[in-house]
Amino acid sequence: MIKKTLLTKLATVIRSKNAGPFKITLDIFFKNEENYRKVKGSGVITRETIAKLYNIPENRILGIYFVDKVHGIKITILRGPSSGSATDTDVYGAQQHAPLLALEIPLTY
Amino acid sequence: MLDEVRILSQPFPGYGFEKSSLEYGLSEKPHLLVCQGTSTDMGAYYLGSGKLFVGRVALKRDLDLLLSYALKNDVKFIASLIGSGSDVDLTHGLRVLDEIARERQLNFRAAVISGEIDKEWLKGKLAEGADTWRLAPHPNLVDELSEVDVDESVRIVSQMGPEPVMKALDLDVDVIITGRSLDVGLIAALPLKLGFEPGLTYHMAKTLECGALSASPATCSDLQFASLRRDHFIVKPPNPLRKCTPLSCAVHSFYERSDPNREECPGGYLDVSDASYEQIDERTVKINGSKWVKTPYTIKLEGAKLVGNRTITVAGIRCPTIIGRIDAILNDVSDFVKHQSMESGIGVDDFQLMIRVYGKDGVMGELEPKKKAISHELCIIIDVLAKTQDLSNNICALTRSTLLHWGFPRRMTTAGNLAFPYSPSDIPVGKVYEFNVFHKMELDNPCEPFMMKILEFPGMNEVFE
Repeated sequence: MIKKTLLTKLATVIRSKNAGPFKITLDIFFKNEENYRKVKGSGVITRETIAKLYNIPENRILGIYFVDKVHGIKITILRGPSSGSATDTDVYGAQQHAPLLALEIPLTY
Repeated sequence: MLDEVRILSQPFPGYGFEKSSLEYGLSEKPHLLVCQGTSTDMGAYYLGSGKLFVGRVALKRDLDLLLSYALKNDVKFIASLIGSGSDVDLTHGLRVLDEIARERQLNFRAAVISGEIDKEWLKGKLAEGADTWRLAPHPNLVDELSEVDVDESVRIVSQMGPEPVMKALDLDVDVIITGRSLDVGLIAALPLKLGFEPGLTYHMAKTLECGALSASPATCSDLQFASLRRDHFIVKPPNPLRKCTPLSCAVHSFYERSDPNREECPGGYLDVSDASYEQIDERTVKINGSKWVKTPYTIKLEGAKLVGNRTITVAGIRCPTIIGRIDAILNDVSDFVKHQSMESGIGVDDFQLMIRVYGKDGVMGELEPKKKAISHELCIIIDVLAKTQDLSNNICALTRSTLLHWGFPRRMTTAGNLAFPYSPSDIPVGKVYEFNVFHKMELDNPCEPFMMKILEFPGMNEVFE
């Protein structure tokens, strides 16, 4: 049986921040290793899904990293406007995580 | 030969920290107290304008505590000041230190190393054919730097590596103050000079550079402490209410970094993917397995250029009819303003009009997946950027009055569409800057562009700017 679970039910931290003035980095940390492995194994976190979620071309996804040691996932994307530029909406890039909150992970039971 | 280096770190002077943690930390008898205080985080404005990023009162309080404790306890003090780390910023910091020296009757000698890059020197390097690469594939950054980019920048700074600091450690100084520098470089300099293994050294420096952010509970407004040995290092926050865990230390490599496994530095990168973290007592973690991989030496250049002058108006909207029709209304108002301006002889390229809509997509802009405003209340910010402050004031005023009185089908609020919180409603913000230089450049001599002076405090007879 496959049940869709919101990422927010599995993760303890979902955050965004600048990685330099031209990139935004998204971090997801999990309650436990089991949740991390489920999400990693689900194959949901890909360049394609993130690009769709953020409505950006795939070439703006600069990297997706799975770090088993800390059960953490990192996604780095290229900013539109750079930090503090005329049309920037978030100088520190600290509030760009919201689309991840809607992410659903299909889990097999 | 020294087998251990003990380092205490409290970053971001001006952000505040617990005085008691400093006292606990000093009981560990550190060799070094480090305070890294420069960044690009706050946007291009501070680099471009030279305005102080932190409040001066808090800056002085923090530096006062750190400097006084270091001098009184014979601990070497190394700090990077402040904000964007330009010479203007460095001078702000030096003046604060001078005031502290006078008020506390502290006499000390400091090596002061500028992090600002002389434009003629840089242009000379480019003319000689020095290789440069942009640090992000972003349309605002040219692939390779040219003279034009250097000239367009108001000023350019560079994150100096540990080498200039290592040179300063050879001198008879109590204190080393730098402008823009590699944060981990300030911490790594002494151990590297003493021949400690670079992988461990840089990893230790990385774990310390944001203070207790690598502890639990995490914060950068509290100190962190490490003891570096020849084959491992240990980390333990001085504040007894915090502890380090393998997780708290390991996740720090995620913070504000595009790659969680690698930290690029001048001359190499730190690879933590095989590092091991062991809890050795309730609050202490032992770390090793970190690797340093050498690469050709490069420095990171950061520069900001002026893009215009800004005026804003903040206003609230409460009427559902306006909210339901907001996109069309704002489009029509913008068109009207543009046409009116053209009739006044103002070119459509002389200004940029943007109207931010909070309650809809103010925070995420183009990235916002929810396209419709369903809030009962919106906050709009009329945001004008123009070649002169006078022009941006004028365009903003016209947009504000037009939007206030704009008529549209089924309009109910025929007396006015906006709730201004302030009179004056229009706020001239000032100059707007953007990063136009964010590049690596190859460099043979790591110390070459970073000018060093020896200053006696109190003094300030000689300043950088």
